[in-house]
Amino acid sequence: MNQDARETPLRRTWDYSLTVATVALFGSLGFQSFAGTLYAWWAQRTVPGWEQSQYAGFVAVMNALAAPQVVLLVVVMGLCVPKRLFSRNALIAVSAGMLLAGVAVGAGTGDLATGLAAYLLLAGLIQVAVVVLTIAGARGPSYLTEGRLTKTGSGLLHLGFVVFAFVVVALQRSTWMLPVFWAAAALTIAGTVLSFYADRFAVRRAVPIEPAEETSAE
Amino acid sequence: MECTARLTPSANMPKNHGGILWPPPDVEGRMDVAGISTTIGQLIDTLAVVGRPAQALLLAASVAVALVAAMPPLRKWLGWAVASLAALLIAGEGVLAWFHWRLHDAAAVVSPETGQVTGHVAVPLWVESEKLYIWALIVAVMGLVMRRHREELAPGVAFIAAALTAGAVLWGRPFTEPLPQFLGQYGGYLQAMSTGLNQGSFAAYQGMEAQRQFYYNTWYMWVHPPMLFVSYGAFAVSFVATVHMVRTKFSAYETTAYRWARLGYLPLTAGMLLGFPWAILAWSGESWWWSGKVNMSIMMWLLYTAYLHARLYLRRRGMWRWVAALAVLSFVVLVLTYLATYIVPGAHSYA
Repeated sequence: MNQDARETPLRRTWDYSLTVATVALFGSLGFQSFAGTLYAWWAQRTVPGWEQSQYAGFVAVMNALAAPQVVLLVVVMGLCVPKRLFSRNALIAVSAGMLLAGVAVGAGTGDLATGLAAYLLLAGLIQVAVVVLTIAGARGPSYLTEGRLTKTGSGLLHLGFVVFAFVVVALQRSTWMLPVFWAAAALTIAGTVLSFYADRFAVRRAVPIEPAEETSAE
Repeated sequence: MECTARLTPSANMPKNHGGILWPPPDVEGRMDVAGISTTIGQLIDTLAVVGRPAQALLLAASVAVALVAAMPPLRKWLGWAVASLAALLIAGEGVLAWFHWRLHDAAAVVSPETGQVTGHVAVPLWVESEKLYIWALIVAVMGLVMRRHREELAPGVAFIAAALTAGAVLWGRPFTEPLPQFLGQYGGYLQAMSTGLNQGSFAAYQGMEAQRQFYYNTWYMWVHPPMLFVSYGAFAVSFVATVHMVRTKFSAYETTAYRWARLGYLPLTAGMLLGFPWAILAWSGESWWWSGKVNMSIMMWLLYTAYLHARLYLRRRGMWRWVAALAVLSFVVLVLTYLATYIVPGAHSYA
């Protein structure tokens, strides 16, 4: 793994913890999906008329179980954003600030989805800054990968996921859903292509080698 | 499908002129059901005539490839064996494409009220009995074109291609029992249309027209499944490389596994994303989110995403075991996801 030389220990631990949390949440949601599928398969075979009588209840239970995991995943995704820009105290302050803002909006409106949307909006704005700085070649953003194109790809990919999460959380019944969704899809796909295949797009500049100075025999 | 009425096509069979049937099908505004039924029946018969020997050849080729892959002294023939299997599969796909093209010409959807042709059904080449076939074809082609660690990985990839081909021939039977669901539904529609203008023919028309517009003919069905099958093929090669890495403990195979996994992840992500707006439109009002196939697909994507994330820390002590376990688990779930279509009920399902 290519670690950024400027990474602080806190940032490294934070990166690893967030990756572990992301993997654990993906695994947990995956397990729920598998268990739900097995249950649906079993119920379909053993309970007469299950699809008509109990499918709606099954969906409600699955939604209730998934909701906290999805909320956590959204929170973790949001926390992945400021780590690119900030280190140490600033990272803790910004992450806590984002969480507090989300909780405050959620509590103020009495709607968890609105709180999550506000949190994602903040994360999205920071991620836009990260992407712009990365494209500009600024030294600020920190990544686990090397190469400006790969980093840009990673930035775009994560921006795409944040925007997609925003669509799911806030725009499902809006006329903006489709255009914003397509933007998320384009960001995600372009980001994935860049982060996987940046080396194919990279332009390598040949640095001319200075001719060695001739030494005089005199 | 009820294609038993082997009538000769009617001389007065209406022709489609800019979407309007002329001369009109008959006084009740019906279509020439017997003519269409005969045409489709003849198509199925022709496909079976070509397809029976093709299926036998494919089965023989898959057994030969499996044997060559399994027996080291025969491995020098593996390249030729896989190339032959791929060529047979491609030729078969050509025959299936011809069948679909002719089927599209025949399978008109006519409104019982106006007698107008609202369109022809364009059944994609990767539904129902043909899904396993297209997967086998893609894996066989990938087995041919792969370069990195070709010698070591080719037997495993060839074995998977052979198993998929055998499954496609024995289970899917795309040549001798083509598209059972579509032909069943279209047959029902024709039958309803033959009864004249009534509630049944209107309901059958609405059902068929909805299937035409939102399922068979939609751009999404022509893009989403092939993307997923390309990803399934790439993940199969990645799986073989991972197994090889676990057996040999040689890290270069892990890199090969990753390269194929990223090739698979891209169309998987794009294909699933493209499915989201389509599902909202086509399955409006249905609880599709937790249906078996969607569930399993999401789980598969989550696991492959987890694998790619975990891989960032590959050089940590003992991490390669977790990464390998995730890669193997992801592929097992991929196979289960494929099977879920046939086993688990819900939107997306043939169960």
